[in-house]
Amino acid sequence: MPVITLALEYLDRLSGIERSVLFSRLPMIGSSIEKIEKNEAQVEFFPDRPDLFSAEGVARAMRGFLNLEAGLPLYKTSDSGITCSVDPLLHDIRPVFRAAVIRDLDFSDDAILSMMGLQEALHWAVGRGRSKVAIGLHDLDKVTPPFRYFASDKDWRFIPLDYSEMLTLDGILKEHPKGKAYAKVIEKFSKYPLIIDSNDEVLSFPPIINGELTRVTSDTKNAFLDVTGTDLRAVNVALNIICTALAETGAKIETVSIEGTSSPNLSPVLRKISIKEANELTGLSLTLDETATLLKRMRYGVEPCGEDKLDVYIPCFRADIMHDWDVFEDIAIAFGYENFTADIPDTFTIGLPHPVHARENLVRDIMSGLTYIQVMPFTLTSEEIMYTKTGRSVPSDLLRVKHPISIDQSVVRTDILPLLLETLVANRHRELPHRLFASGDVVHDTRTTQNLGAVSCHNQADFSEAYATIDALCRELALTYTVCESNDPLFMEGRRADILINKKKAGVFGEIHPRVLTAFELEHPVSAFELDLMVLPGFRVT
Amino acid sequence: MDLTYNEKRLLLALKDKRVNANPAELAQILQTTQGAVVQFAHLLESRGLVEQKEIREKNYVLTDEGLICEEKGLPERRIIEALHGKVPIAELSKDPLAKIAIGWIKKKDWAIFQDGAIERKEVITVGDDESYLTLLKNGSVPYSPVIKDLIKRGLVREEESIQYSITILPAGEKEIESGIDLTEETGTLTRDMIISGSWRSCTLRHYDINKLPKQIFPGKIHPYQRLINEMREALLEMGFTEIAGEIVQSAFWNFDALFQPQDHPAREMQDTFYLDETAPLPQGYEKVQNVHENGGNSGSTGWGGVWSKEKAQQCVLRTHTTSLSIQHLQAHPIPPVKAFCISRVYRREAIDPTHTPEFEQLEGIVMDKGLNFRNLLGFLKEFYKRMGFQDMRFRPAYFPYTEPSVEPEVYVEGLGWVELGGAGIFRREVTLPFGIEAPVLAWGLGVSRVAMLKLGLSDLRMLYKSDIDWIRKSPSNKGGN
Repeated sequence: MPVITLALEYLDRLSGIERSVLFSRLPMIGSSIEKIEKNEAQVEFFPDRPDLFSAEGVARAMRGFLNLEAGLPLYKTSDSGITCSVDPLLHDIRPVFRAAVIRDLDFSDDAILSMMGLQEALHWAVGRGRSKVAIGLHDLDKVTPPFRYFASDKDWRFIPLDYSEMLTLDGILKEHPKGKAYAKVIEKFSKYPLIIDSNDEVLSFPPIINGELTRVTSDTKNAFLDVTGTDLRAVNVALNIICTALAETGAKIETVSIEGTSSPNLSPVLRKISIKEANELTGLSLTLDETATLLKRMRYGVEPCGEDKLDVYIPCFRADIMHDWDVFEDIAIAFGYENFTADIPDTFTIGLPHPVHARENLVRDIMSGLTYIQVMPFTLTSEEIMYTKTGRSVPSDLLRVKHPISIDQSVVRTDILPLLLETLVANRHRELPHRLFASGDVVHDTRTTQNLGAVSCHNQADFSEAYATIDALCRELALTYTVCESNDPLFMEGRRADILINKKKAGVFGEIHPRVLTAFELEHPVSAFELDLMVLPGFRVT
Repeated sequence: MDLTYNEKRLLLALKDKRVNANPAELAQILQTTQGAVVQFAHLLESRGLVEQKEIREKNYVLTDEGLICEEKGLPERRIIEALHGKVPIAELSKDPLAKIAIGWIKKKDWAIFQDGAIERKEVITVGDDESYLTLLKNGSVPYSPVIKDLIKRGLVREEESIQYSITILPAGEKEIESGIDLTEETGTLTRDMIISGSWRSCTLRHYDINKLPKQIFPGKIHPYQRLINEMREALLEMGFTEIAGEIVQSAFWNFDALFQPQDHPAREMQDTFYLDETAPLPQGYEKVQNVHENGGNSGSTGWGGVWSKEKAQQCVLRTHTTSLSIQHLQAHPIPPVKAFCISRVYRREAIDPTHTPEFEQLEGIVMDKGLNFRNLLGFLKEFYKRMGFQDMRFRPAYFPYTEPSVEPEVYVEGLGWVELGGAGIFRREVTLPFGIEAPVLAWGLGVSRVAMLKLGLSDLRMLYKSDIDWIRKSPSNKGGN
C-alpha cells in the first residue's frame, strides 16, 4: 500500500488545521500513520483512495472531515484553445490520451515534491506499474501547441529527462534507468507512443520518460499535463486527481480539445441513494438531514430528493465510488467508527465441526497419548527433501509452484514423513528419545487430503516399535487393517510393511533405511509410519 | 533422621566400641565385608554421626623369590651347607646359585678362600636376614635396616595399605540414645511382599523429596495447535459451522468471485503462487464476468475493461480462506449461515522472522437478513474477547471485497494498540452473482500473528520449524501461577 510523505509545514498551510488535531483524526478517515518526524510525516493510505496520495488531497479531505469546509469542492475550468491529435495507429498500443493545461502555478519545492510523490503513487495504485496509466507533467512555455500523440518509429531521437544527449526510443529502453524499468510495458510493439509539439519537439515518450526540454522546475508557471493509458476510466481518475490537487494550491485548470473531446471534465457524478438502505447497512438511524451533513463532511455535494432519497454528487477525484454501498461506508466513516455501538444479532445457528478437523483432532489425541509430540511443518518443501534424500521416486501427480522464491519451497508435499525427518535433523542436539508426529494436508494432483506421519528416534527404535504404535493407533481408530511386504525405499528391506485398509494401501511403517538416515545426517535409528487419514470410518466428508 | 538399614546396624555395632573401631572387626560383627563397613561409615559420616579416620600403613611382604629363600634358605646358605672340605672355585661355579652365593659368603665371612679353592668355616651362625625372612612370613614386622637390604635383594617388597578407624560422634551417640528401629528396609515394594504381607515387617525406604527425579516429557499437542483449537472451540460455541477445503483453487474462486479486479497487484506472480494447472469455471460464471465488466445486476459500475476467462481458470495456492467462504455461501445461499475456517494460506513471501510463505488464517462469516455494520462490530468484539483481548477499537480499512471495511485493533500490554485482522460486509458485487441476497459479515485474521502475541514468540518460524525443547517446555496451560 502506498506510503505518502507529507511535508508538515506545507500541509499546515494547505489545511489550516492544527497539526496535532489533524494527525489524531487522520487514521479515522482511513490511514495508518507510519511515523511523524520534525518536517514530514509518513502516512499509509488505502489503494482505493488515490485522491489522498498528496498533501493537497489530505488537506481537502481533512478540512471536510473536521467540518471546516464541507460539501463539494467546485473546480472551474476554461478552454485553453489548445488541441491535440491522437494517431489511430495507437489503438492497439496505448489508445487513451487525456490532457489538461494548468496556469498560474506557484511551484514551491514542497509542492513539486508533493506532485512527484502523487504521480509515483498513482503510477503504482491506479496505473498498475504504468501499464494502465502513465502521467507526464511539462513546462508548457517550452513547447508550442498543438500537440500530437502518435505511434512513432523506434529510431526517433530526443534528449530524455536527466540526460544531456539525444537517444533513440530503442536506446532509451536499453540504456535509460526508467527505460529499463518499464520497457516490458511496450517493448512488444513495433511502434512506440510519443507526444510532440508543432515543432516536433518531444514532450514525452509514454509510459517511459519525459523530455528534458519540458522539465518542471520551481520557475514553471504554466504546465501541460498528459495522461496516457489503456483504460479510459483509470486515465480520467489520474487526470482529475492531479488537476484538482493543483487547483487546491490556487492554480487555474484549462481544458484542451482531444480529437474534439474536451479534457479534463472535473464535474461531479450524480448518484441517488436511499437513506433507508444506508441505515440498513450501517445499523444507524440517521435522518435525511443528518446523512446529508455527514456526506458533506466527506466532500460530497448533496441535495434532498424526496423523503427517503438524496442526490449525491460524487467529486471527480473519487475513484472508488462504484456502488451505493461505497457512499454508505463514507456515511459510517463520517459518523465515526468510534461512535458505533457494537451489537450482536440473535441469528440462531448450531455450531458444527468439519469432519476433516474433527478427525485430525481425534488422531492428535491418540498420538499424544502414545507420548508423541506434535509438530506442524510447512506443506511447501523441495524435491530434494521429498524424494532425493528418501530414495522415493517423484510421483507424476506432484504439484510444483510456478515461480518459487526458493527451491526449498517449490513443491507441495505429497507425504509428511520427509518433513518429520527434517524436523529430527533440526533437533539433533536435543535429548532423545524424539517421538514426533504431524497431521495435516498433503496434495496429490490438485486434491487436498490429510495424512498422519510419526517418527520415533532413539537407540532402541525398531520395526516392532513402529508396528506396535500403528497397531495401537488403528485399534483406537476402530480401523481394521492387514499388512503386506512393502517396497518403499524409505525403509529397510525386511523391516517395512504396507498397511492395507479394505485391501487398498493406506499407509506404510517400518525402520528408516540407514542410507536415508545418512542422507538426512541422522545418527540414531528411526522407526516411522504414515497413514492416509481419508480411510478413517465415521468421518466421511459430505 | 532417615538412616538406611545398614547405617542403623553399623551405628548399633559402634555402641560397644565407640573410639577407633576397626572395620575388620565391625565386618565380622555385621557379617559383611570391610569395604561395605567403610561405605556405611562414609554415609554416617556425611550425616555427621561418625568420624572415619584414614590411616596409611607401610607393610613388608616377601616376594616370590623371598618365599623360596625362606623355605630353602638363602643361596649362600644352600651353597655353604653343601660344602665338604676344600672345593675348587671353578667346580663350585657350575652351581647356578654360586654366582650370587660366593659374594655373600665372602661378605658374611663364612669360608676361607685359598689357592683357588673354598673351605667352609666350622661355625656359621644364623644371620639376621635369615631370621627376618621367617618373621616376615609369619606376620608384619616393623621397619629395620635388615629389611632395607632384603628389599635391595628383591626378596621383600614394600606395600602401602589404608586402614580405617571409626569413631562415633556426639550426634551419633544421640541417635543411638533416641533408639534405633532395626526393622529391615527395602527399596522396592514387590508383588511377593504384598501377597505374603511381608511389607508389614519391613520398612520401605523414604525418598528425599528435595531431590528432583530425571525429567520426563509427555506427548502433547503443539502449543500453536492448542491456540488454533481454542479459537475453533470459541467459534463452535458461538454456533458457527466449520469449513475446510482445497489448497489448490482457481483464480476464479480465489480472486474473481471476490470482485478482485484481474489487474489487481495481489494477483500478480510476485505475490501469489501460481500453478501450471487450470480448473474449469463453475456454472453461472458469466454473472461474475458481468459484475467485473459492468456491474451486472448489482447496481455497481464494475471495474470496466474486459474480463478474461483464461485468467480466472489459472490455479493458485489459495491466498486466503475467503476462497472457501464464498464457495460455502454459494452452496448455502439461504440465510442464516454462520461459518468459519482456520486453514493454511499461501503467499509468495521469502522466509524471515515475521514472514512465512504459508500461515494459518482464521475467517468467520455471518449471513442473515437485516444484518448490519454494528452487528459486525458486535461479532468482532465477542470473538476477540474470547481470545483474551478485552480492549478493542475500530478504524476504517479497505479490502476489495468488503464495504464497509474495518480494521480491528486490540490493546496488548507492552505493545500498545496492535492491528489484528480485517473485517467488513461482503460487497453486493460479491454476493449477488451467487444469488445471495442477505448481507454477509466477514472477518479474518492471521492466526500466526495471534500466536506471536499469545505465545510470546519473536520468530514465526518457531511455529513451523519447532525446537522440540520449546514444545516440551511450553506448558499446556497458558495461565500458570
